[in-house]
Amino acid sequence: MAALLDPPLLRRLEALALRVRRAVRGQMGGERRSTARGRSVEFADFRSYSPGDDFRLIDWNAYARLDRFMLRLFVAEQELPLSIFVDLSGSMDWGRPNKAETAKRLAGAIAYVALAALDRVRLTVFAEGPISGGAPYRGRRAVANLFSRLQSFPVGGPTDYDRLVWPIGRQRPGMTVLISDGLGESSIDPAIAALGRARQEGAVLQLLAPQEIAPDWTGDARLRDAETGVEREFTSTPVTSAAYVAALARRTDEIERSAHRRGLRFARLSTDEPIDDMVLRTLRRLGLLS
Amino acid sequence: MSFLAPAAAALALTLPVIVALYFLRIRRPTRVVPALNLWPDEIRDRQANIPWQRLRFSWLLLLQLLAAAVLVAAAAQPALSAGAGLARHSVVLLDVSASMQARDVQPSRLDEAKREVGGLIDQLGPQDRMTLIAVGSVPRVVASVVGDREALHRAVNDIGAQNGPADLSAALALASGLVRPGDDARAYLFSDGIVGPIRTDSANSLPFPVEYHRVGVSGENVGMTSLVVRTGAQSRAAYLHTQNFGRQSRSFSVEWRADGRLVDVRKLTLAGGQAQDLVLPVPSDATLVSAHIDAGDIFALDDTVSAVASAPRAFRVLLVTPGNVFLQQALSLRTDLQLDVIAPSAYRSAAPYAMSIFDGYAPPALPDGPFILINPPAGSPLAGGTPIGIGRVRAVDAGDPLLTNVDLQDVHIARSQDLHASKFGRPLITSLQTPLVLVRDEPFRQVLFGFDLHESDLPLRIAFPILVQNLSEWILPPSVPSHSFHPDEPVTIVPEAGATSVTVVRPDGSRRSLAGGSVATFGDTDLTGLYTVEQVVAGKVDRSWFTVNLFSEQISQLKPAERLTLPPLSSTTAAHSAHRGQLEIWPWIALVALGVVVVEWLAFHRGL
Repeated sequence: MAALLDPPLLRRLEALALRVRRAVRGQMGGERRSTARGRSVEFADFRSYSPGDDFRLIDWNAYARLDRFMLRLFVAEQELPLSIFVDLSGSMDWGRPNKAETAKRLAGAIAYVALAALDRVRLTVFAEGPISGGAPYRGRRAVANLFSRLQSFPVGGPTDYDRLVWPIGRQRPGMTVLISDGLGESSIDPAIAALGRARQEGAVLQLLAPQEIAPDWTGDARLRDAETGVEREFTSTPVTSAAYVAALARRTDEIERSAHRRGLRFARLSTDEPIDDMVLRTLRRLGLLS
Repeated sequence: MSFLAPAAAALALTLPVIVALYFLRIRRPTRVVPALNLWPDEIRDRQANIPWQRLRFSWLLLLQLLAAAVLVAAAAQPALSAGAGLARHSVVLLDVSASMQARDVQPSRLDEAKREVGGLIDQLGPQDRMTLIAVGSVPRVVASVVGDREALHRAVNDIGAQNGPADLSAALALASGLVRPGDDARAYLFSDGIVGPIRTDSANSLPFPVEYHRVGVSGENVGMTSLVVRTGAQSRAAYLHTQNFGRQSRSFSVEWRADGRLVDVRKLTLAGGQAQDLVLPVPSDATLVSAHIDAGDIFALDDTVSAVASAPRAFRVLLVTPGNVFLQQALSLRTDLQLDVIAPSAYRSAAPYAMSIFDGYAPPALPDGPFILINPPAGSPLAGGTPIGIGRVRAVDAGDPLLTNVDLQDVHIARSQDLHASKFGRPLITSLQTPLVLVRDEPFRQVLFGFDLHESDLPLRIAFPILVQNLSEWILPPSVPSHSFHPDEPVTIVPEAGATSVTVVRPDGSRRSLAGGSVATFGDTDLTGLYTVEQVVAGKVDRSWFTVNLFSEQISQLKPAERLTLPPLSSTTAAHSAHRGQLEIWPWIALVALGVVVVEWLAFHRGL
């Protein structure tokens, strides 16, 4: 755990909470307003008494005035279901600092914020296919397990975003954070579309290394794809480098427009940005954390 | 067009090498990238997956082949035929005389001539040779039969202007000596045509043709050609001659200075070709006077002149005679002689005198120094034989400097001692009967007259004072001549008795030491201005002066000569096989190659 995130950062993360735009219904009690009615101090509504209702909820003052049994209803406080999908494909095992390592730390930080707020965290990593991170995690005591599980996942293989559609679609409404570089042979758009259909609120975080944002080499080279191993001879010139940068910008733009179309937040992050800044500044500015 | 280094064409082998390199596989480092599909998938010129492949068209390959081809062409040193016809041996005569300092062409005639000579050097072929002669008052060979163009350019650049005249005859004679008979030679004269008289007789015929390249366009110049200081009974005055050698009228002022102090300023306006003489005051204490005109013309060398105003040092001369008014008058014409006349009976010694003259008398012991002995009495050591009657009088050598302007045609002498047997020296004036006047240089300059002046009409002729003047100046030249000299004219300096060192300070402040105690000829008079002669006598520094001025109407008129009359070609001149000169163009081709390389570099970075 210590290797994934520093204790000082964890202490600062405890002051944060995931921020949802609308209330969602959880399975267990928590600290968030839910669409369900339950016991809390926050009044929600009145309704007529039906046999079988808990008569402790009858508003006797209303009965005195209206001569009818009325029940006082309160807002239920439940947990927030958070799903984190982390891309650990071959293209993520690249860059200085390494994108996969940074993705794990970022996922750990977001998960820690959720667990500290008694939210439920479901972890899924993916490359060629989704790999579940085990049963949902809940409570601070699950932090160590989650971090340990995160660090144990191998990195490599091609990315197949189409195979994320099914696990995303079977989720209950809640929050989902998708961390990926958005690169690969297949498009990430089906996965983002699935998030929209599953009424998921959340964010798509594109994580790139500084060396791929601005290539730092020129000249002759044999290029090898990190995921497929396909090779091609190439001569880097200012012109071809500019063409690559433009292609990457187009890919980023496609992902951002796809996310916004589904009501999801989007941020492009660089691995040379400290993890503290990513979480405490970028994600807060994005509205994902508060 | 021809190629000066055709062997460089072998470098064309680099072209197939470049093509071969395009065939060969390039070893590239492997780079892992996250997404290969983001990198442009263009077929590159050097993309190759097998060692040998079919050659694809490539702009880069084309440009590289073009650059290599152009470089090979430049290395072969192509040359175009130039306009001028060059001989195998080109003799360049470059006028460096004073008139070439005129600035009617910028920056000066000499620089323009040097530029033209540079162009001629550039046309030399690999087999051609050039001799470069600077034509000044004394011609100088700057480069002798040289084929190295860089060395020739350096030699031309090192040539500087001189202040003297140009002796073209001497330069042509020098050039003739450098050309072997039968050589394919041609001379190129770069000059304004203001050169000394040219001997055009057949005896000076040339073994090569001469092309005259005229330099200069204008003769608009105002200058001073004479400045003389005359001492009268009461005062001294200077006579200055100014002249407008151009066609346009000019107004200017003359600044007149004595020892650097401004004495007078005169405004003058001279029409084209007009001259004017000015009489200017000379202060009694002045040593040096100078005049400067601010005409702003194209020639500065004749705009400042100077003259020595102080009187020269006097020589003490002893005349021992029973009475000879002719001799006394003739000697007194020379102002720097202090004459003592005594009777023979009063003669004791000639020791304190610079020169002694014995007329009809010979001392028992002749002085150990310069003297003139006239008609020595019989029995004296230098006396001749029995007097004999004299017929026609004539000069032994009419060109002898001692007889300059001495006309002996109407001179008659009644009788003279027979000097046939005399061992005194060489005869100067003679007759059919006997030599009449003998002179000798050693041990001192001495003269022996064999006849009594009273028995001749020589003293009544104008030749007599001139002869006495010539002889006395030969025997006693002024220690430092106070008159003006022309540039490069040698100056004879006779040190004072007892002088331990003699130093000449030139106008630019440089000093030249002369050997003390003997007559010296000072030749470093190339600069115009005031020269100071410093002699140390008994621990004291004695200063005297002389000046060097241009004072040449021929040079000051400046107008370039349209054509020159040159000596004829000698009959042995080789058939001139002038070939076309060559103008090398490889630097321009190399520049094109550089441009192609730059385009190739740009093309590479633009991804062509």
